[in-house]
Amino acid sequence: MTRTPFILRNKSVLPVLAVLAVFTLAVTFLSHAYGNGAIPTSMVKVLGKTLCLALAAVAMDLVWGYLGILSLGQMAFFALGGYMIGQWLMYARTEDIVAASLAQNPIPPTPLELQQATANQIFGVVGSADLPTTWAFAHSLPLQLMLVVAVPGLLALVFGWLAFRSRVNGVYLSILTQAMTLALALWLFQNDSGFRGNNGLSGLQNLPGLEGVGQAKVSVWFLWASAVALGLCYVLAAWIVSGKFGSVIRAIRDDETRVRFLGYPVEGFKLVVFTLAAMITAIAGALYYPQAGIINPAEMMPIASIYLAVWVAIGGRGRLYGAIIGAVVVSLLSSWFTGGRAPDIALPGYVIKWVDWWQVALGLSFVLVTLFAPKGIAGIFDLMPRRKDKA
Amino acid sequence: MHRIRLIATLVVALLMPLAVMAQSLDAVVADSIDQIEKPSRRTVGPLVDRIAATGPQGLALLQAWADRQLVLTETGDLLIIDGDAATDALTGDTLAAPDDRPLRPNSGVRGLIESALVASQLKDPDPARRAMALDTLARSGNADQLAPLRAALDDPDPALAARKARLEKLMTIQHGTDPAARIAAIEAMAGDISLDFRAVLNPLLATRLVADTDMPQGNVARELSVGDDLPRADALAALVDMGALQPFMTPDEQRTALAANIVDGRVADTPVADLGDSDIRDTTYDALEASGAVPPAATESEAREALAAHRFFQLYAEPDRDVTDAARAAQVSAEVRLVAMKGVDLGLDALSLASIYFLAAIGLAVTFGVMRVINMAHGEFIMLGAYTAYTVQTLIADRTLSLIVALPLAFAVTFAAGVILYRLVIRHLAHRPLETLLATFGVSIALQQLAKNIFGTQARPLTAPAWLEGSITINDVISISSIRVAIFVLALLFLGLFLFIMKRTRLGLEVRAVTQNPGMAASMGINPDRIAMMTFGLGSGIAGIAGVAIGLFAQVTSELGQGYIVQSFMTVVVGGVGNIWGTLAGAALIGGLSKVIESLNPANTLAAQTFMILFIIIFIQFRPRGIIPQKGRAAEA
Repeated sequence: MTRTPFILRNKSVLPVLAVLAVFTLAVTFLSHAYGNGAIPTSMVKVLGKTLCLALAAVAMDLVWGYLGILSLGQMAFFALGGYMIGQWLMYARTEDIVAASLAQNPIPPTPLELQQATANQIFGVVGSADLPTTWAFAHSLPLQLMLVVAVPGLLALVFGWLAFRSRVNGVYLSILTQAMTLALALWLFQNDSGFRGNNGLSGLQNLPGLEGVGQAKVSVWFLWASAVALGLCYVLAAWIVSGKFGSVIRAIRDDETRVRFLGYPVEGFKLVVFTLAAMITAIAGALYYPQAGIINPAEMMPIASIYLAVWVAIGGRGRLYGAIIGAVVVSLLSSWFTGGRAPDIALPGYVIKWVDWWQVALGLSFVLVTLFAPKGIAGIFDLMPRRKDKA
Repeated sequence: MHRIRLIATLVVALLMPLAVMAQSLDAVVADSIDQIEKPSRRTVGPLVDRIAATGPQGLALLQAWADRQLVLTETGDLLIIDGDAATDALTGDTLAAPDDRPLRPNSGVRGLIESALVASQLKDPDPARRAMALDTLARSGNADQLAPLRAALDDPDPALAARKARLEKLMTIQHGTDPAARIAAIEAMAGDISLDFRAVLNPLLATRLVADTDMPQGNVARELSVGDDLPRADALAALVDMGALQPFMTPDEQRTALAANIVDGRVADTPVADLGDSDIRDTTYDALEASGAVPPAATESEAREALAAHRFFQLYAEPDRDVTDAARAAQVSAEVRLVAMKGVDLGLDALSLASIYFLAAIGLAVTFGVMRVINMAHGEFIMLGAYTAYTVQTLIADRTLSLIVALPLAFAVTFAAGVILYRLVIRHLAHRPLETLLATFGVSIALQQLAKNIFGTQARPLTAPAWLEGSITINDVISISSIRVAIFVLALLFLGLFLFIMKRTRLGLEVRAVTQNPGMAASMGINPDRIAMMTFGLGSGIAGIAGVAIGLFAQVTSELGQGYIVQSFMTVVVGGVGNIWGTLAGAALIGGLSKVIESLNPANTLAAQTFMILFIIIFIQFRPRGIIPQKGRAAEA
């Protein structure tokens, strides 16, 4: 019984992996740390972050393009992943600094003193000197890494279970996910939430114990990690959406009631995909924020999640590579236009500054894509002449 | 016989002041110049009364005396100095300021003079001066002024008489010496919720923590048990304060003491490197203590012994038990009434918030009912309405007129915007609600940025007309700003208008038909496309009105709509779709709930919003289709 391996059956997996590998190698050899330095370190970080966003977009596509749930709360999972890894990064680094300063004293500090001084350093800014219970595991990297997937996964599981079992769907569900995100963001904005309020977590780009390595190398390492995560999760997502499981979730997207009448446990399928997507998004966030260096609750406001939906829609939903294309193209364009580097357009009597008008253009182009090109950018691939049909 | 005696007494009583007044200021001063120079608290009383009785000049003299501006010159003249000038207290002539130092009566004498002054002011024929004297008393009354106040309780002006009676009670509670009178005053005022009464009660009920081996002397409020209603740390601190326990040593102090005793890298034979552990630090410190190198510090066992040996009490500062009991009872009843009043106040707040949510959500609810689409740009229509009002305000100076112009104009502008949005975008996405949601979101970000480009990022004020400023105040607790009342009226107006359109017009009939069954409505000759466009325009128009209303109490920014859009969605979802009463119920629930949660923790509005959203998520579990769900075939769509 010779079955074609899954990787060969799915036509998009190998090209995507190949492009990803070429891209990663190219950036590496053009970077400061491992190559000729044509790409500055800040650009390497932008590219690494873009890969993370692409990963979040893949998860979004899984939920929206394949399962039909327009979740407007994906970035909550993204930011939660970032917060979880940020806790360790910030705690471990602050502890190193505090330990170094306490070592100046004639008497070595007790573990309790060290912890209190660290807590004071971290939480002094929100007027607290105690370590909140939410930071109980912050000293341990393995535990926090576990929390990166556990916390968003659990949140998605509980929320999904509550929402799906009461048959909330369609627009209602979108609004509900948005409300969840807003609730979480508002909660984190409080100073006594245990996550430093609107100060967020900062200094995340410095890896504890690796201060001597330098950002040039660290940023390339994160690029590799992001690329590997994107590659692995892409394969995972492609594997999920192919085969019987994939057929069922696409069927749920197209007619949920009919699938239920056919005897499939619709809620279970939805819950699995929703939770898995939340975990993937959290991993993307955990890789993103150490490259960004800072995370605060504003990252989690509903608008961020809606942008994620916009990227997927522009890229082309219902195809995983479409999500990647959308995230990469739109986020890079956005940062180029809003970064003030795009040339202004001088009209007679008015100068169009892209910093001001990009948002308008993005909004309108989004309307146009929805109206006239529901398949998004990836729809272009359909226009190409098919070579040989192996399927 | 009795009557004659009474009349005689009255006549004497009436004549006595007259008899006193008959004396002129000159005579009084001449009579007792020695006493003015060296007054004694015990004997000066009658003199002060006599001077006060002579009239305005005498009062001026008294005021100067109390203020230490009265000079007795060597020639025996009394001068009132005011900076460099001086006036003769008796003749009123203006003179140069003398070199002599002013008289310096002691505080007891000055108290007497002040109360005599207040007493005369309280009886002043001019009501304004009497009111002023009452203000002074209410602000800084002291025990000496209670008697003059009591003497002046009668007043021709009923309002002033009431104030005097009330002030007399308050001052009796504060300064009275007769417990029975104080209790009577407290009981007479029980249930009063005004701030001044509560401010008078609080010091009576102030307590302090006392540790004693036995029941202490004094008015004990209650005994505290350590651990239950008295934290252990506070109990220990009290023991340390009274000297029953050596002060505890903080870890910092211990470390400093240890560091001061390092000898050759060791502290009392313990290597310094081992001191990174609190137990080792304790034993090392004990070793140092044994050798006498450091002062002894309290140990845990000593603390336990001291705690066991003492009882802890809350002691009232006020010694009289009956007074504190009465005050406690009065405070409880005041608090009960206060809670009720706050409830009413909260209800008013909730009502006004609910009206805003209702105005903001009604448009969404209608469009969702008819077309099953959520318009993410709804918030931007609210913003558009607010900016329209702002623009009108810059053109028309008269605030009232500009508001009258702005309301219909905001409706018209957003109605047009809604119709355009429908024709250009939403119509082409019929039956694809999620796509509509995203497309309208695109419109939303474009409009927001456009508003930023046109009006700038800073907040624009939308000023309400003068008659809408200020607030309607019922008492110290209940008050509501006029703008909020106006918004409530506006919401009622639109509820009425909306009901009229839906139930009494052809358009309403058709809208209801399309909501219930679009296919059937279409076969009956109704054009669903036109109906959808009209409802969309109508919903958007009301959003514009809501924008004007919101702009009146909040600053107009490009993010104005964003702040309300999620709440509006929630209102629609909670209320149920396609029914105006559902929207009303949803708005009432969400408005009321936010205010209640907020009042439980006023310092933390963010937490309030979080809890409210969590509540809604849970609410949806039980009523997935809202408070008033749609029935029949339309519900399945």
